[in-house]
Amino acid sequence: MQDTKADSPSVSAEAQPAPLSPRNANYDIDVTLDPAARTLTGSETITWRNTGAMAAYSIRVHLYWNAFRSTNSTWLKQRKLVGDDPFGEATEADFGYSEIATIAVINDDGSVREDLKPALRYISPDDQNSDDRSLTSAALTTAVQPGENLRLRITWTGRFPKNFDRTGVVGNYFFVSQWFPKLGVFEAGGWTAHQFFANSEFYSDFGRYDVRMTVPSGWVVGATGREQSRAEAGGGKTTHRYVQDDVHDFAWTTSPDFIERTQRFEHSGLPPVEMRLLLQPEHEGLADRHFTGTAAALRYYGEWYGAYPYGHITIVDPAFQSDSGGMEYPTIFTGGTRWLSPRGSNDPEYVVLHEAGHQFWHGMVANNETERAWLDEGLNEFSDSRVQAEALQPNYFVQRFFGDFIPWQFRDLPLKRATDTNWMNSYRRMGDRDALSTPTFQLWPATHQALSYHKATLMLHTLERKHTWDVMRKVLATFFNRWQFKHPQPDDFFAVVDEVTGLPHAWFFDQVYRSSNTFDYAIERFDSAAPASRGLTESPSGLAFAEKTTAGTFRTTVVVRRLEAGIFPVDVLVTFSNGEQVREAWDGRARWQVFTFDRPVKAVSAQVDPERVLLLDTNYTNNSREMEPAAEEAATKWSLRWMVWLQDLMMTYAFFV
Amino acid sequence: MSIGAAFSDGLMRVKRAPWLVIGLWLSTLVLALPLSLALQGQIGAHLGDSMAARSAADGMNFDWWNEFLAQSSGVGQTFVPAILGFAAVLQNLSGIADASGPPTAVVWVVVAQLMVSTFLIGGVLDRLARDHAIGAGGFFSACGVYVFRFLRLSIVSVAVYAFLFVTVHRWLFDGVYPRLLEGLAAERTAFFYRLGLYAIFGLPVVFANLVFDYAKVRAVVEDRRSMVGALSAGWRFVRRNLGAAIGLYALNSLALVAVLLLYYLAAPGAAANAVAFAIGQLFIVLRVISRLQFAASQTALFQGRLAHAGYTARPVAKWPDSPAADAIGPA
Repeated sequence: MQDTKADSPSVSAEAQPAPLSPRNANYDIDVTLDPAARTLTGSETITWRNTGAMAAYSIRVHLYWNAFRSTNSTWLKQRKLVGDDPFGEATEADFGYSEIATIAVINDDGSVREDLKPALRYISPDDQNSDDRSLTSAALTTAVQPGENLRLRITWTGRFPKNFDRTGVVGNYFFVSQWFPKLGVFEAGGWTAHQFFANSEFYSDFGRYDVRMTVPSGWVVGATGREQSRAEAGGGKTTHRYVQDDVHDFAWTTSPDFIERTQRFEHSGLPPVEMRLLLQPEHEGLADRHFTGTAAALRYYGEWYGAYPYGHITIVDPAFQSDSGGMEYPTIFTGGTRWLSPRGSNDPEYVVLHEAGHQFWHGMVANNETERAWLDEGLNEFSDSRVQAEALQPNYFVQRFFGDFIPWQFRDLPLKRATDTNWMNSYRRMGDRDALSTPTFQLWPATHQALSYHKATLMLHTLERKHTWDVMRKVLATFFNRWQFKHPQPDDFFAVVDEVTGLPHAWFFDQVYRSSNTFDYAIERFDSAAPASRGLTESPSGLAFAEKTTAGTFRTTVVVRRLEAGIFPVDVLVTFSNGEQVREAWDGRARWQVFTFDRPVKAVSAQVDPERVLLLDTNYTNNSREMEPAAEEAATKWSLRWMVWLQDLMMTYAFFV
Repeated sequence: MSIGAAFSDGLMRVKRAPWLVIGLWLSTLVLALPLSLALQGQIGAHLGDSMAARSAADGMNFDWWNEFLAQSSGVGQTFVPAILGFAAVLQNLSGIADASGPPTAVVWVVVAQLMVSTFLIGGVLDRLARDHAIGAGGFFSACGVYVFRFLRLSIVSVAVYAFLFVTVHRWLFDGVYPRLLEGLAAERTAFFYRLGLYAIFGLPVVFANLVFDYAKVRAVVEDRRSMVGALSAGWRFVRRNLGAAIGLYALNSLALVAVLLLYYLAAPGAAANAVAFAIGQLFIVLRVISRLQFAASQTALFQGRLAHAGYTARPVAKWPDSPAADAIGPA
């Protein structure tokens, strides 16, 4: 369904004909920013409908900014586990917080029915960290029955942490995310609400957000939704009202320095989308590349999976050092680029494409990202990697020098989808550290990316290579259309894979998803020679020694080995000197398998998984062998090239003698 | 003597000393060879009989490269994309500017090269100062004469450079730079701050380099035994000829930049093989010439300003009856 009316700025979101989502968590918020004090003062009315099958006897409210309140928070403790101590030398002003002043259940007329403040307490169900303040709970005296509404009024104050992890301030740039007291999700088993962990993202119900943000006059505001009105608020401030239906979060940004650009996305068969770009002045020359990345997501994801329904999207180019780049929020996202960004490398296109792509998975499908981030990140990375291959070429490897400022583009190293933009190297190094099925917030903090993004992408691309892109596109399209706005689980996705392919895949997901097994197939032995035998054979006079050589025939022996625990059916391809190729299928189960071929010519090469269907194979170099290998040639070539670098290094240091 | 004259005189002196160029180039080659062979062994062992070797030999197999990096250790870890073409130059200059030091696996080669250079520089300066052939015996005798003097000088230079690269660099880039960046929302400004700090850091480094260069020149030309005296004399020369010394240094630096630009234009891609090696070695030869040009032109300037071209206080050293033998034996 398309939100066609939302295309017209004169028509408010109230006029939407039919809801796309259950709209059971609706937020009406007033908030005022004090830039000097770096604080927000807000009040909100939450209208929540119990869509579950059981009564709710309590509420859970997230206070995400309390993750930045003390070094004892769960969030910061997790960062410290991997040697990252961002608040190690923080001063008092660097810490952020979110503090509820009042919280009450209210009646329809706004009068207080029950003051919940006395019952409000901090809880830490995930790690029993009594110092964590990122999740609260309050018991209700009157349960909320299935289908009933609960209206909560909350007033709070929050202070921004200093330019920190996707929320914060630098200079006059404010990026405001996870900023308001927010309900958990009430599901079959009760409340799903976790503390704020270093790797967990977010999960919440869909609803209508009507938010009035008061900021200094003249400052540009970008937010989830579309601006409905702008009014003087006195004291040199202006109130901007943004409204959006059918979203599960609300983020905003403000700065007096943004350069604003707009462009309209139009593509045959897809609804138009107004793209609004809020750009840092130093990136003015990169405006078109931001639109290119966004339009690529809208076009390809739209064609492949389904149309983007909101009619508008806001791209925020984050300020230097804001640490707010590369994050998605409904109808708004942050990109992130560099002042010097050479063409021919997908910066900023990649991050913009990726975050715009999240609008489809995180934004609409909206699975529980605190527990199963891969179902969003993996599907999105898989998709954006394909878009990059189709639409954003060339894409060369770039490295930066001199304090990480000066880019150097390696025209000899074009990034390939299968290995580079699927981040094979990251998976190769850390793919076995955790199982993908581990709840995301319980993953070892350093492995989240390697698993949720990269292993998941390679898993999906392996399926694509096994079943073809067309089948995989149908899988994702079916999943997207069936489960959008419904919070699916991994098993829902696996069921769609089985359904569309017509084949069971438990054997595959048991290994790739539910275990930390890795894959490595190798050609262990490869030889081709005239078959000869020696030994004692029966003869009329008894056992006699005999030597036998079969002229005109060569016996080729290939030993294929499975070096890791992962099992995957693979092909073995042997090529002979006359050009003949023989392909054998192997179920890959045994630890090793011998293949023997008798031919009039010698074999020249043998490969296991020659098409590299199994992209999860961590060591592909050992997948092949040839009779006349070029290893010496390659090793000589590259060691000589390396030697020039070393000589140059010596000459650079010779400056000091 | 003018800056231009010193520069061109220096260039002619280098031209008239081709064996110096060849010798210094060979010294880099010989020092780099053992680790190159080790890397060759690692790469060869990793590729084995794999078909991946074919694409690595013909061009670049980036996936294999990453796989190799994930599984290698020691010198293999230095085989990164930044060794390719002109990126190698950027990587090495960037390492100096950011005081990151050479990768651990090759530190000993750099240290060995510094030791070899310390040994050779006496002979190099002696040859360039005389501006006529002195033969291998004369050259190495001169190396022997000056090596212990320059080792003593290097105690001071190592201390000064260590102070600059550790204390001053850390203060500028780990102390001042983060403070400049506090609350900064524009990367471009940060870049110019860093550029400014590079300049601030570079000035004392260049100045120290100038003084040490002229200390060595004076030690050789005037046959100074006291390195404190040579250092003081080098300092006096730079102070009294500040414009010329700096101007010549700038001109030589420009020549070095021209060499780097040439390599930027000619640096081979991944596909080339024998030609790439040849271009790479030609570049190293040019870098050697450039290094010698600094020494030769500074020597020419000193001789032109205070004495006369080709003057050296010490007669050509003879082997085995050289003063070096006296220096290493009991008096």
